[in-house]
Amino acid sequence: MTPTISTTALGRRYRGQAALEDVSLEVEPDTVTGLLGRNGAGKTTLMRIVTGLEFPTSGSIAVFGETPAENESVLRRMVFVREDQAYPDLRVSHVIRVASWFYPNWSEELARQLLTDFDLPLQRRIRKLSRGMRSAVGIVIGLAARAELTLFDEPYAGLDAVARQLFYDRLLADFAEHPRTVVLSTHLIDEVADLLEHVVVLDRGRVVLDAPADDVRGTAMTVSGPVTAVEEFVAGRAVWHRQRLGARAAVTVAGPLGAAAQARARALHLSLEPLTLQQLLVHAASSPADEKVSA
Amino acid sequence: MKTLVNVARYHLVDRLTYVALPWGIMAFSFLVNLVIATVLPSPQGDYTGGLVTIYIFLLICGAISMTRALPFGLMLGISRRTYYLGTALLIAALGVVYGLGLTLLQAVERATGGWGTGLHFFRVPWIMDGPWYQTWLTSFVLLVLFFLYGMWYGLVYRRWNLVGLVTFVAAQVLAGLVVVVAASITHNWAAVGHFFTTLTAPALTGVLAAVAAALGLGGLTTIRRVTI
Repeated sequence: MTPTISTTALGRRYRGQAALEDVSLEVEPDTVTGLLGRNGAGKTTLMRIVTGLEFPTSGSIAVFGETPAENESVLRRMVFVREDQAYPDLRVSHVIRVASWFYPNWSEELARQLLTDFDLPLQRRIRKLSRGMRSAVGIVIGLAARAELTLFDEPYAGLDAVARQLFYDRLLADFAEHPRTVVLSTHLIDEVADLLEHVVVLDRGRVVLDAPADDVRGTAMTVSGPVTAVEEFVAGRAVWHRQRLGARAAVTVAGPLGAAAQARARALHLSLEPLTLQQLLVHAASSPADEKVSA
Repeated sequence: MKTLVNVARYHLVDRLTYVALPWGIMAFSFLVNLVIATVLPSPQGDYTGGLVTIYIFLLICGAISMTRALPFGLMLGISRRTYYLGTALLIAALGVVYGLGLTLLQAVERATGGWGTGLHFFRVPWIMDGPWYQTWLTSFVLLVLFFLYGMWYGLVYRRWNLVGLVTFVAAQVLAGLVVVVAASITHNWAAVGHFFTTLTAPALTGVLAAVAAALGLGGLTTIRRVTI
């Protein structure tokens, strides 16, 4: 099957500054991919190139097997919801109506449902909305468009926890009924960790991790307990991080741990805890390049 | 074609900018001139030039269509080319309707002897003083020309910001300068004068249409590499 997105050695430079460098990745159809990384890592630039809003300076990109820039047969099939979306001076109802004219799979029913859920004032002008409400308008368009490729770039800036949960729930529910390819970029990694099937991590414009989310989750474990027992257990293992507090220690080691190792940990009365996605990324971002997470 | 129409509709949702303001501002200009013509009547009739307000405002509308309205427009899964052509379709439609409106107002002005005061607001000597169909055509061409010119300004601003805008204006001034210098060096001022004095109103409309086409081509070239 043709991957929905496929890039080869993709690069984008701005006045000598590399925003993206040598990015080669594939996004499979009907999956939810998390595009993660720190501020300025190149997430937005990558999504803008995918949606044809920006041009690469090197390498190539194919979306649905074709170049996206100025290619309407590709552009029609995707929707891009971005944090910094600028709207003309229109009312909420106008913006929603305009969007409905352009997306071939638009669901009016879902749009109306979401507008009610997010409690959006239809007659208010976009520029009078709070930041969270403006984000909600983008989310309504992104979900109701039911585009084959749906890209969310930090879609919930300013949204409260309840509204964010609403977004996750609606996304999952609609995704189940109408499968599509979703690429989601966010800083709230632990919140979305369960949604993601695939994880791509960018750091300074480069891909540092590209793996199924399940593989990533077992990448590292934190072993904690009495110092002697912990040290005995981790001997010979790749240690990522050590922390000591009195007679107790917590050591993060590279995983995954097999059944034998887990049984041994139990015998030593040690507690084992897998690193969350967020912890993994913090670790990956703060460690030297040669010991980046690999899965 | 359906997509082009939808782009035009997208702009028209903002009726304030594209309908109410151009006509409102021109109406204001008209009323001011009418009052002046009433209290200070001139024996030769009052020539105002106030009609230029609607054209200037359409230039602003063109710039808005390529700046404020652009990011959301390009979010809607359309190419830059379609966005540009759809906007051009909008101004073509507006040009036909607004041109007809100006033609009707000119007819009323003529029938009432300048609104009873000798005011020449909708009648402009030489360029817009002929039969109704000629006024309609010239109005259409001028409305489109100003809007396309504004679109190009908006696109230059989007791509190269203020520095680009200043450079764009400077380049036009320089182009004008080159023509002036060339005419002087080659002693061709007489020919230039002859060209303009013998140019008929319909021929002038033709020249303006050619200018509008050139502006449209310039804008279409500029939008191709605009990034959002």
